[in-house]
Amino acid sequence: MIVSFLTENLRGKISFLNHAVSGNSQLEILSNFLLNASKGKLTISATDLEIGISSSIPANVEEEGETTVPAKTFFDLINNITEEKITLETKGQNLELKGKKIRMTFQTMPAEDFPKLYTDKGEEIATLKKETLVKEFNRVVFAASQDSGRPALSGVLIKKEGGGFLIVATDGYRLSLKNNVLLKTKKGEGAEQLLLSARAIRELISIKQDEEIVLNVSGKNNQAIFTQGETVLVGRLIEAEYPNYEKIIPSGFDTKAEFDRDEMQRAVKICSVFARETANIVKFSLKKDKVVVSANSPSVGEDTVEVEAKISGEENEIAFNGRYLLDFFANTEEESVVFEMSGPLGAGVFKASGDNSFLHLIMPIRVQG
Amino acid sequence: MDENKELWEKILGEIELEVSKANYLTLFKRTTLLSCQDGVLTIAAPSVMIIDLLQRRFYDVIKKSVDKNIGEESKIVFVPKTTIAEDKTKDAGPLFEHEEKTESYVGHLPRVRPDYTFGNLAVSSSNQLAYVSATTVAKKPGTAYNPLFIYGPTGVGKTHLMQAIANEIYQKDSSKKIIYTTSEEFTNEVVDAIRTNSTAQMKKRFRNAGVLIIDDIQFVAGKEKVQEELFHTFNILVDNGSQIVLSSDRPPSEIKKVEKRLLSRFSGGLTVDIDTPDFELRTAITLIKAKKYGFDLSIDVAKTIAEKEQDARSLEGALLRVMTEAEAKGVSMDSALVLSVLDNGTEVKKPFHPDDIINNICAYYKIKPTQIKSSKRDASLVRARQVAMYVLKKDLDLTYVEIGNILGGRDHTTVMYGVEKVEKMVETNGFSQEILGIKNFDGGKLAEY
Repeated sequence: MIVSFLTENLRGKISFLNHAVSGNSQLEILSNFLLNASKGKLTISATDLEIGISSSIPANVEEEGETTVPAKTFFDLINNITEEKITLETKGQNLELKGKKIRMTFQTMPAEDFPKLYTDKGEEIATLKKETLVKEFNRVVFAASQDSGRPALSGVLIKKEGGGFLIVATDGYRLSLKNNVLLKTKKGEGAEQLLLSARAIRELISIKQDEEIVLNVSGKNNQAIFTQGETVLVGRLIEAEYPNYEKIIPSGFDTKAEFDRDEMQRAVKICSVFARETANIVKFSLKKDKVVVSANSPSVGEDTVEVEAKISGEENEIAFNGRYLLDFFANTEEESVVFEMSGPLGAGVFKASGDNSFLHLIMPIRVQG
Repeated sequence: MDENKELWEKILGEIELEVSKANYLTLFKRTTLLSCQDGVLTIAAPSVMIIDLLQRRFYDVIKKSVDKNIGEESKIVFVPKTTIAEDKTKDAGPLFEHEEKTESYVGHLPRVRPDYTFGNLAVSSSNQLAYVSATTVAKKPGTAYNPLFIYGPTGVGKTHLMQAIANEIYQKDSSKKIIYTTSEEFTNEVVDAIRTNSTAQMKKRFRNAGVLIIDDIQFVAGKEKVQEELFHTFNILVDNGSQIVLSSDRPPSEIKKVEKRLLSRFSGGLTVDIDTPDFELRTAITLIKAKKYGFDLSIDVAKTIAEKEQDARSLEGALLRVMTEAEAKGVSMDSALVLSVLDNGTEVKKPFHPDDIINNICAYYKIKPTQIKSSKRDASLVRARQVAMYVLKKDLDLTYVEIGNILGGRDHTTVMYGVEKVEKMVETNGFSQEILGIKNFDGGKLAEY
C-alpha cells in the first residue's frame, strides 16, 4: 500500500473516528484503525463491536492495499504534525509515514483480523438534515440511559406519528420527547417504529459534517446505518420493548411558571455548589411572582436565588436532582422555558414557551420539611 | 432450551482452551446457542462485527468442537441478536413506577415505628382512659389536652400509644414537624449542643416543633441544665399551641429530683395512668402479637400464656419462646406445650437472697439497710419494714420467725401484723403498683438517684 494525502483532510475526521475506538478492549485489533487505500480514496475505520465508523478522504493511491495501525499513536501524531502532505507506505510488518521533514514507522496488525462494519446496507428508510439532527435529537438523546443492562432505556425511540416523527428517550428518572420531527421518508415504506442505540446518535451528532444524512436499516443484520457523505456510522437496532411513556406524561398541572432559561440555569448552577454534599438536591419554591431556587448542605451552608417568573396557579414546592436540571438547560436553546407541576411528588414538566411539540419530564426527589 | 445451553457451555469450554483469552472474552462470551437441529446450529452474537470475526477467523475452531460434541458434520449459522441474561428494563425506573404509588403512605418518622398505630392497640379497662385521651390529642393536637402525661409501669404500652399519636398526626399532615425522642436522647442532644457550642441550633429545632413527644421523662431527674432547657422549650411550645406528650413510669408528683416549676407544668394538662394489663387484655395482646408474626393462635393457648406473664413485653417473649419450641419440635401449639416451655423458662429465674430484697427495698425508699433493721419507728421506716416483711413472706416463703430475725430480731407477731397490713393495702390498686415497682426495681439503677 502506498498512498499520499493532505494531512488537513484526515485531521478533520480522525477525532470522531477515534470515538469508535474501543478504550479498554482485551482484543488488541480493536485498538487499531483500519486503513484502506483504493480507487483514489483512503478509508479509515474504527469499531468497538458496538458501533463502527468509517470515513474516506481523497488520496493519491500508488499501490492499493490495507493494514491496521495503533489508533492512539496514529491519532496523536496526525494531530501534531505540521506537514501539509504525507505518504503512507507498508514495508513488511511495518507502516512507514513520510513527510518532507519527518519519517516514522508503526507496528501493524493484519487487516484480515479487523471486523467488517457491515455486510449489507439494507433498505434506505429516511433522510434527515444535519440541522434537524442537531436541533431536535440533541434535546432528546441526553435523557437516554448509559446502562447497557437496560437495553430499551439505552435507546432512542423513533416512531411515526401524524405527519411526522416522534422521538423519545428516558433513563427512568427523566424523559425527553419531541414531536413533529420532519424526516424525509420513502413513501409508504419502513417500519412504524425503530429503537436506535442512543450512543450511535450521539456519535452521529458529533460528526462535523454538514451533508444530509441517509438512514438505512437492515432488519436481517439488526443494524442501522447512517451515511453522511463519505462517512458511514453503524449502530445497533435494539430489540426490546420500550416502556409505556405515554401514561406517565401528566395531563394537567396545579402550578405553572414561565422563566428565562439563562437566568434559571445560572441559579441552579449556583445552588448546585451547595447541593454537592446532599445528593444534588435543588429545591424550587414557586411563589407569587418568582421561583426561589435553594439548596443547603449541613456542613457548608445554604443559599437561595430568586428567579423572576410568571406564575399561575397555587404556590408550590418541589425538589430535583440538580444534575438533571443542568443537563436539561444545557441541551435546550429556548430563551424562555415553561415549567408545570402538580404537587411535590409528581413529575415536573419542562416545555419550550410557545412550542407544544417538546417536553422534558424530571422525577422529583422527596424531601422532608 | 436448557439442553442447548448445556451443549453450548460445553462447546465454549473447549473453545476457551483453544483461543486467546482476549478473543474468548470479547467474541465468544456473549454468544448463545439458539437452536440445534439436523446438524445446523444457530448461534446468536450481539453484533455483525462480532459475527464477521467469528466466521472468518474462528469458524474452524468452532466447527471442530461442535462436530465432536454432536457427533456429526455440522453447519453453523450466526444471527445478530442481543441476548442478555437479565433484562432489567422491566424495572424501568422511578419515573414509571410513580403512577401506582401516588396515594401510598410516604415514608415514616425518624425513631417512630410505623407499625405502632391506634389500629393495632388492644384496649380494655386498664388503658381505656389513656387510649381515649391519646386519640383525642392526635385528632386535635395542641388544643385538647396540653401536655398529655401518660404514666404506668413497664410493658403496658406507653411507647405504643405515644408513637401511635405521632403516626396518626403525621399521616393526616405530613408537613407538621413532629419530634419523637426519649429523655435520654434529649439529654444527649443538650449535652452535645453545649459541648459543640451549638445550643442555638438545638433550641431552634425543639422550639419549632409542632408536636414534641418525650418518652421516659423521669430520667431527667437530677439533670439541672437539661431541666432548664426543657422548661423553656415547654413554655414556648405551649405558647405556640404545639402539642406536648410525655410518659413516665410514675405520676409527676412522685418524680424525684425534678424542679417544682417543671413538675407543675407536667401536670398542667391531662395526666392519665395505664395499669398493668388485666387478664383479658393480656390475652388480646397475645393474639395480636401472634398475628403480627403470622401465627394463628387458638384462644386457649393465648389464655395460658396470658396467665403466665404479666406485662406485654414478656408476653411477646413468652410467645416467641413457645413458637420457636413448637417449630423446633414440630409439634402443634397447645396449652400443654405452653406450660412445659414457660415453666421451664421461669425456673431459670435466680432465687433471691433475703439481703438482695432488703437492699432493693431500702434503695427504693432511700434508706439504709441498717435503718430498716434498727429499732427506730419513723413512719417512713415502718412502711419500708412492713413491705420488706410482705415481700419476704410472699416471694421467699420464709417463716415469720425467720423474717423477724432477718429484720433486726423482731417478734414474729410484729411480722404477722406487718404482712397482714400490707396485704390489705395491696388490695387497693395503687399500692400493688408500688409493690410491683419495688419487685421490678433494679438495684443497678441506683446510680440514677
